[in-house]
Amino acid sequence: MRIRQTTAVSYGRWQAENCAMRRIRVVVGIGASVLLMLSTVPVAAHHAFAAEFDANRPLTLTGTVTKMEWINPHAWIHVDVTREDGTVEQWMIEGGTPNTLFRRGVTRDSLMPGTIIAVDGYQAKDGSFKANGRSLTLENGEQLFLGSSGTGAPRDGLDPQERRRPPS
Amino acid sequence: MDHRYSGLALVFVATAIASLVMVLPAAGQALRVDDANATEPAWTGARTPWGVPDLQGIWDFRTITPLQRPDDLADKSVFTLEEAAEYEAARVASLHKDQRVEDGLTPETDVANAYNHFWWDYGDTLVEDRRTSLIVDPPDGRIPLLTLDGQLRLDQRREARRRPAHGPEDRNVWERCIVGGNAGPPITPSAYNNNVQLFQAPGVVVIFNEMIHDARIVPIDEGSHLPDNIRQWRGDPRGRWEGQTLVVESTNFNGKTAFRGSGADLHLEERFTRVSIGRLLYQFTIDDPKSFTKPWSAVIPMKATEGPIFEYACHEGNYGMVNLLAGARAQDAAAAALTTGDPQ
Repeated sequence: MRIRQTTAVSYGRWQAENCAMRRIRVVVGIGASVLLMLSTVPVAAHHAFAAEFDANRPLTLTGTVTKMEWINPHAWIHVDVTREDGTVEQWMIEGGTPNTLFRRGVTRDSLMPGTIIAVDGYQAKDGSFKANGRSLTLENGEQLFLGSSGTGAPRDGLDPQERRRPPS
Repeated sequence: MDHRYSGLALVFVATAIASLVMVLPAAGQALRVDDANATEPAWTGARTPWGVPDLQGIWDFRTITPLQRPDDLADKSVFTLEEAAEYEAARVASLHKDQRVEDGLTPETDVANAYNHFWWDYGDTLVEDRRTSLIVDPPDGRIPLLTLDGQLRLDQRREARRRPAHGPEDRNVWERCIVGGNAGPPITPSAYNNNVQLFQAPGVVVIFNEMIHDARIVPIDEGSHLPDNIRQWRGDPRGRWEGQTLVVESTNFNGKTAFRGSGADLHLEERFTRVSIGRLLYQFTIDDPKSFTKPWSAVIPMKATEGPIFEYACHEGNYGMVNLLAGARAQDAAAAALTTGDPQ
């Protein structure tokens, strides 16, 4: 099976970054200090993924992209998934913010309708056909890694010491 | 200034002077023109046609320097060159890796940890002077302790967060696309949209943040703040020039926003100084005696960028709010099912 549309800029750039990432070997000179500092660097997304998606509903989907909504505060990828009984489910996969994606070289033409992708993620808490994609895999095996390194938990500023969400 | 603020003003001025003494050495380091910048044209202090310093342009404040200094770096306010390189490499690698695979995260944390670095825009470097925190005062680089009132407010908020949200009002204002994120005020680096554009016209400066497409219109030399009973989301800003520096003082916050524990009585001072054609030094001081045991200050260097600032029409497709409230109702239903024994 062939991918019907190729992605232009995004995956090439992503591949380059991913390869560079693999080459990184950090010599820890100040060891514990750096590690602790890393653990305390606050990061923030727009909204709490943990309140939106269910860790008890891991899923893997394979389907055909029908459209990519290039909207704020998060882009959404729409995917038709055909079940064994022939029924078609229309899924939505949450992505990053369009501004960042565009600066990365991703455009609205990067994931065209007709592209077949496999999604590894977690389903919405309410059981609807929505998921956070932690990875997307193209038909040729290329993988677009979505997570997880940052926290989706937003900081509202009320807690001066708020950091990463602790492991549950 | 209104006499009601005179006592606070004395404290604030004294604090600001003390803070400036603390800040200036760090700022001096930040302003250092190293070999890499030697070709950059020297700043000549260009002015607008109406005679004030020209701060206009798009400014990028991305950095991986944390706001607060980690506890075990209490004695290290500045990295050496080697330490800075190690930290930057380690930090970028950390942002790229799959923590579920490499760190064995639980599914719960995996869900909460949204994305890797491809989808974010933190930048890859520390601030130029290699500080270990953006906070320069207190000297330990840490946010001062909360007052009892501040801690009580925080405890109440945490308690509310432990239950599923009843409605959008239970979620924070940033999720609701109202204000916040790195736009503040004050402005602080975050995961994305780390850009601010400054516009000037006679008697006014506009601070336009990419995050939440937030625009603050600051009147210059317009006198006292609004009456105390008029409260605003971003406070009531008043600007003035101190030499080359734009000073913006904001009061009259509405209490529905907060910056690291601040409250409605926050007195925020922001200072914008263009130190070269391509550098803007941004400083802020948080003075809120009802929330913090003492004032605190941070310094954030900004770099000129060609931009552009992109629209961030946050309400455009904020499915997240709908989804997380739907998730909250699902949690309620599950809890009810446990109580009644009826499977949902």
